[in-house]
Amino acid sequence: MPAALRHVLTLTAAALASALPALDAHAWSLSITSATRRVFLHVGDGTLNGSNGTINRVEVTVPASQLGNGVAQAMTSNSGQSRSLYGDNYTTCPDPANQVMIGASYRRNNNSAPATATLSVTAPVTLTNASGDTIPFSEISWTVSAAGSPSPNVIRAGTFTTGSQTLATVPANTYIENCHSFRYANTAIRAAGTYNGRVTYTLSNP
Amino acid sequence: MTGRAAAIALTLLVWSSAGQTGTVRLDDTLTHTVPANVQMQWRPFVRGERDAGMEAWVRVNVRIDTREWMGRSGQVYLVLDSDDTSAMEAEWTTEGRLLAGRIRSGERTLVYSGTLTTATLDDQLVMRLRSLSDWRGSTRRLNFHFEFDTP
Repeated sequence: MPAALRHVLTLTAAALASALPALDAHAWSLSITSATRRVFLHVGDGTLNGSNGTINRVEVTVPASQLGNGVAQAMTSNSGQSRSLYGDNYTTCPDPANQVMIGASYRRNNNSAPATATLSVTAPVTLTNASGDTIPFSEISWTVSAAGSPSPNVIRAGTFTTGSQTLATVPANTYIENCHSFRYANTAIRAAGTYNGRVTYTLSNP
Repeated sequence: MTGRAAAIALTLLVWSSAGQTGTVRLDDTLTHTVPANVQMQWRPFVRGERDAGMEAWVRVNVRIDTREWMGRSGQVYLVLDSDDTSAMEAEWTTEGRLLAGRIRSGERTLVYSGTLTTATLDDQLVMRLRSLSDWRGSTRRLNFHFEFDTP
């Protein structure tokens, strides 16, 4: 009986060893790397996920009869961007001659990356003509709209101020866009000339 | 007494291989992906979706050793282990030996049903991987394996 018991134990061990190869078969595995953290911004004419060097221009010529009368003058745009770069090609800005579309997105690849990105605009103190005459940039403001959007003011309306001002916070993995229509306040009579100035929009993520 | 021991041995050996029923893990050591490492890409935004997530494509050259199970009928499943971070979804097409399908982390999906008639199950999968962006880190390892259910 003791001899038989030894056999049974030995053979049991052998049976388990035979089963092990199936249990230990290697799984096939795949190492994957997340898409990289990314911010995207277009102001006016843009290319989705690409670089577009266009710098659009908004302008107004104030009629002599209305110079400095305090009646705001709508500014026109040379932007042709009417369709969204969101991915569905929606006509968000149906009147691009009077609108500048701004779109921004922030994509993060894991939960430890910052939760938001910040959209801001920086303006100089003045617009300047060839003679050195100036107009305060605060004479220019904008309204916002977005056809078909439940949140047309996702990027806020405002007035340019010297330096940087925040326009929107972009949550991770979202895309925001709307259309900006600019106007000149026309609060004072200025020396004749063409006044130029450039504002810069920035989308940043620490 | 010696004869009785031999009878027990025979029973155990049969149980260890072709006589086994239930679920067993198949030897897929020769299965590999091309490329072996893959970089996910952002999916285009879709209006109304909070997070379009990311995706990648790989080719999977499948070779499952089925010698031990030749002549047995049952179901072969592809299993994707859960890796304790955001769910991954894999969807694939095949060249016909295995079934096309879809799977999410922690699940298994039928890829073959019937009698195993050959020493190996071979196929090539074209697999799309998709996930949301809520990973815990920037890299992760997906572990797949095949299981065989025998009645």
